[in-house]
Amino acid sequence: MIAVRLLLYLAFGLCLALVLGPIAVIIGISFSPIDGFAFPPTGLSLRWYASFLASEKLLGSLLFSFQTALTVAVLSLILGTSAALALARRRGIVAAGIQSLFMAPMVFPTIILGLAILLFVRVIGAPLWLGLIVAHVLIGTPYCFRMVTGSLQAFDPTLEEASQSLGAGPIRTFAYVIMPLIWPGMMAGALFAFIVSFGENNAALFLTSPGYSTMPIELLGYLQFPGNQLIVAAASTLQVGLIVVLIVLMERLVGLGRIVRGDRSV
Amino acid sequence: MSVLPDKHPLDWRRYVGEGAALGAPLLFFTACFLLPLLYLFVVSFLEPSQVELYEKQLTLANYSRVVNDDFYLMIIGRTLLATTVVLIISLLLAYPAAMVIARFEPKWRIRMLALLLFPLMISNVVRAYGWMSILGRRGIANTILLDLGFIEAPLSLLYSFNAVVLGLLTILLPYMIISIANALAAIDRSYTEAAESLGAGPFRTFWHVTLPLSSPGVASGCLIVFFLSLSAYVTISLLGGPRFKLLVSLVFDTVVTLQWPRAAALSFILLLLALAGGAVILALTRPQRVRGRRA
Repeated sequence: MIAVRLLLYLAFGLCLALVLGPIAVIIGISFSPIDGFAFPPTGLSLRWYASFLASEKLLGSLLFSFQTALTVAVLSLILGTSAALALARRRGIVAAGIQSLFMAPMVFPTIILGLAILLFVRVIGAPLWLGLIVAHVLIGTPYCFRMVTGSLQAFDPTLEEASQSLGAGPIRTFAYVIMPLIWPGMMAGALFAFIVSFGENNAALFLTSPGYSTMPIELLGYLQFPGNQLIVAAASTLQVGLIVVLIVLMERLVGLGRIVRGDRSV
Repeated sequence: MSVLPDKHPLDWRRYVGEGAALGAPLLFFTACFLLPLLYLFVVSFLEPSQVELYEKQLTLANYSRVVNDDFYLMIIGRTLLATTVVLIISLLLAYPAAMVIARFEPKWRIRMLALLLFPLMISNVVRAYGWMSILGRRGIANTILLDLGFIEAPLSLLYSFNAVVLGLLTILLPYMIISIANALAAIDRSYTEAAESLGAGPFRTFWHVTLPLSSPGVASGCLIVFFLSLSAYVTISLLGGPRFKLLVSLVFDTVVTLQWPRAAALSFILLLLALAGGAVILALTRPQRVRGRRA
């Protein structure tokens, strides 16, 4: 029995090492004083952070990523919330079908989504950045839809009915009764959409152009050539820091349990 | 659920409201998701063109060229092999890890799952780069091995089957673990207790009770891992390099060289593989056996 338990813990440890190891390595080497890796380490330096902050191209892509992710979060929140309001308590084949349509982008190969939207954008003559936002809203909406649906199913429907029987229309009912109850779910969904858009790099492969390029795509460019790659480590460490902050925010809003269940894996 | 009858006269505004609420997302998903995919599907049956996106002439050549070309068939075979290996290893590692996590107290279980969820939010570029800096020619593994005198010349570890499998495991293991751990945590203790009180040992209890009851989690974990490993272009291209390409790399290459109809056809072959693989996974795990689980 002890041998079995030991094996279980061994697999558990191996999983943690495989999942967290590469991230830990990047955080570690981002403080390297030389262009590369030396063993044992020769010292600590912030030179790669300095070169990141000195690179106008990377800072520009960071700003663009931020703007895109913010736009995507707002639009996904609007679409996901209204879809959840309409479907949260519906049963039946039609509702289930529409629901799976809204959830589909979570498992749909994003590179193919990006290609389809690229072709479409070229045919109708829209700018590429609009295609990028559309693709990211498609990917972000399911997170908002799922989080808000969870919140809606958690509160007592008689409250909504009470409001309506007292004469409030759907808009007033939403503003005064429903929204105050579900806003943590809405915020957590929007944060999820923000994070997903911020790190997305499959659809973005086809939908970025000079001046309208997201940070993951810029970083990918750095990795295709040798030299100066540690600037990517510094940028990545900053990204990790940002995500930790956002997770703490979500934890405050809805608690870790809801975040874990709100992920696509459930 | 509802106190009021469904068609209560007060309710008409609610129906209008719900219709309006459904309209916007439904329109968006139809116009920006279904329509572009339909268009891509049509393009996959059109002749390629040098000047335009395509010639307006129907053909099956984009598909038949792939099916009759040994290079493409080799890449498809390699893709299926790599994704199957990733699936099996991640199942073998994630299931025991999920068993460990499922036994934690709820508070710690959730914290552990959040720790596994957090890497999923970090860009795939970043996590692939982690492996590049470990496995590269002047990377951490080679530097340490050289300094300790185990090897004379740097090993070439990157751009190989193993590197791609490691990279895919890194990005996909959390999905599998979270999915199985949630399924295991949802199993009612009284089932395993019943099996044990009837004389089954821990292994028989696991094999006949716990494993079948966790099959919905196993199925959803396997589906996600399989789908995402088919389409994880960035990980595959950074760790596989030009030497180790998979089907998704060919989709990218054909887009970059502006062969739109062929790119479209390759996309739908990839989707077909995903659907076929998904059907096999569902047939093997049979999640529908389990009914009436606690939520």
